[in-house]
Amino acid sequence: MEKNKPLVLIVDDNSTNIDLLVNTLKNDYRLGVAKNGQKALDYTEKHLPDLILLDIMMPGMNGYEVCGRLKTATRTKDIPVIFITAMTETAHKTRAFEAGALDYITKPFHTAEVKARVRTHLLLKKAREHEIYIASKIQRTLLLGQPPRDINGIQIAQLTIPSQKVDGDFIDFFKLNNQCFDLVVGDVMGKGIPAALLGAAIKSHFLRVLNELIRLTDKKEFPDPEKIISSVHSSMIDQLEDLETFVTLCYARFDMAKYLLSFVDCGHMRTIHFNADSNKCSLLRGMNMPLGFPEQEPFKQTLVSFKPGDFFVFYSDGLTEAKNQDGVLYGEKRLVDFVQKNAIIEPKELIKMVRKTVVAFSQSDIFDDDLTCVLVGIDKKSNSQALTDKAKLEIKNDLKELARVRAFVRNFCENIPDFPLDNNRISLIELAVTEVTANIIKHAYGKHTDKQIQINALLLDDKIVLQFYDWGKAFDPKSVPLPVFDGSKSGGFGLHIISHTVDEVVYSRDEKGRNHVCLTIYK
Amino acid sequence: MKLSTDKIGDVIVVTVLTKILDASNAEEFKIATAPILEKNNKVVFEMSQIKFMDSSGCGTLLSFLRQLKSSNGNLKLCRVQEEVRMLFELVRIDRIIEIFDTKEEAVKSF
Repeated sequence: MEKNKPLVLIVDDNSTNIDLLVNTLKNDYRLGVAKNGQKALDYTEKHLPDLILLDIMMPGMNGYEVCGRLKTATRTKDIPVIFITAMTETAHKTRAFEAGALDYITKPFHTAEVKARVRTHLLLKKAREHEIYIASKIQRTLLLGQPPRDINGIQIAQLTIPSQKVDGDFIDFFKLNNQCFDLVVGDVMGKGIPAALLGAAIKSHFLRVLNELIRLTDKKEFPDPEKIISSVHSSMIDQLEDLETFVTLCYARFDMAKYLLSFVDCGHMRTIHFNADSNKCSLLRGMNMPLGFPEQEPFKQTLVSFKPGDFFVFYSDGLTEAKNQDGVLYGEKRLVDFVQKNAIIEPKELIKMVRKTVVAFSQSDIFDDDLTCVLVGIDKKSNSQALTDKAKLEIKNDLKELARVRAFVRNFCENIPDFPLDNNRISLIELAVTEVTANIIKHAYGKHTDKQIQINALLLDDKIVLQFYDWGKAFDPKSVPLPVFDGSKSGGFGLHIISHTVDEVVYSRDEKGRNHVCLTIYK
Repeated sequence: MKLSTDKIGDVIVVTVLTKILDASNAEEFKIATAPILEKNNKVVFEMSQIKFMDSSGCGTLLSFLRQLKSSNGNLKLCRVQEEVRMLFELVRIDRIIEIFDTKEEAVKSF
């Protein structure tokens, strides 16, 4: 059971003091010893002790400085520090507390006092940790709803990283029918168990209100988001005022029958709307105050229409307020730029990348605030049209196969009844498929000839669709420099050729790491 | 890859005897042409046999052009098939390399 004993780090430059402290504490704790400030920081970083006994006067870095540094790092800032020193003046004590110490013991000390204070602070620490554990458990089990899986034409991905001080971020989904669901993302002001409980209470209020309103209204029409928010607000305002807190949230309804988003934003983070047509992001903001503000204008909803290929990013301030080591915030702009740059990637992958990039930015996977993010992607146009013909080709990853790819496509295109393509148009399609295939062979697979490429040719009502699948390296068309037409470069024309020879080209990658290039030729 | 050459004055006319010039044989084309470009700096490619070309083919022609220009020479093309001409227009090679309908015009233009 040795391992379960708390670990106490003793920092002192004097061997006699160290021996004395070691003898006092060795029976009850595991001990670590550091003889100067730098060693203390290194030890702490590596072993994360449960408590630190810290001398003030040491050569090199003094105790105040060591303590100050520990308090600035997210990983170490909650470790209790007790100063042990011969300096008895009030000014020194005050300075120690300012540096972040929890307690102060003067030398010469009584062993019983050292034992008692260490024990007390370890118990307090344990109690704090227990509270965080409970709060994060509440969060995981009660605050984070699971997205509906069976809404037609929509993909939802979510990311949550609870912080060490749970702060009541909540998410929920209410499926209304196969084409319509509501999403609520919110953030309770405050931290710990109170915030977590309030978050859970708000979620249950939403469920109750939604149920009541649906019962009262005509079954064909769902209550408007603004009506839902108004009801939740009026049923909670007294409690929120009593608790002196407020809640920011965004309540959004996705209606896939009308391709319409109606949302009520109450002082929450601005939702990002990626517009596939213009390839641009816009930020959605409502005009409502957070829940809990007493004098509230009637809540107003905002309508936004969307299109296939669009997606929305909802998130909490924990995401945009993640800090790097210099205290710089990740920020809305960085998030928007990142989303814009990677818009082509499927929601499930994209959200993993959001996590990666924020962790890389802050150089830590521990955050001060809960970090939540929900991505709602509208599927690209579904192939609901009648499939009238289909052909399949599998080739080896070898440039020698290019001629076969062209022959396959030419043969498919020449044999379509009532869909006349002249020879020049077919030649251009041959050119496009050559460029796509050569790119996969050379770049995705790096010319390894043991790999396979799969090509499908589909004929739909009004278009030909050519699909290319490979399992090679990911490809981001935006990373390719624009072509130079002055004769100074021999390469870089491929993508330009592809996009000018067919009507539509879409690059994507699925969660299994399969790349997909889709070329469309309209009638 | 087969090439046939015909020296007219100080201009060499190279007839490219392949139907396809794409990523699968661009390197081969480069190697076959290299000895010709070492000895000549006024070069015309006769393109009538080529039915299909891709960006690798274009890239190879552009690298020939740069090489010849650096030795005060030039590259001209003649008898380009319509399919290949569409590609040239797409990547704007027709604005960088002079293209002639006949071999004679190309030779005379130097």
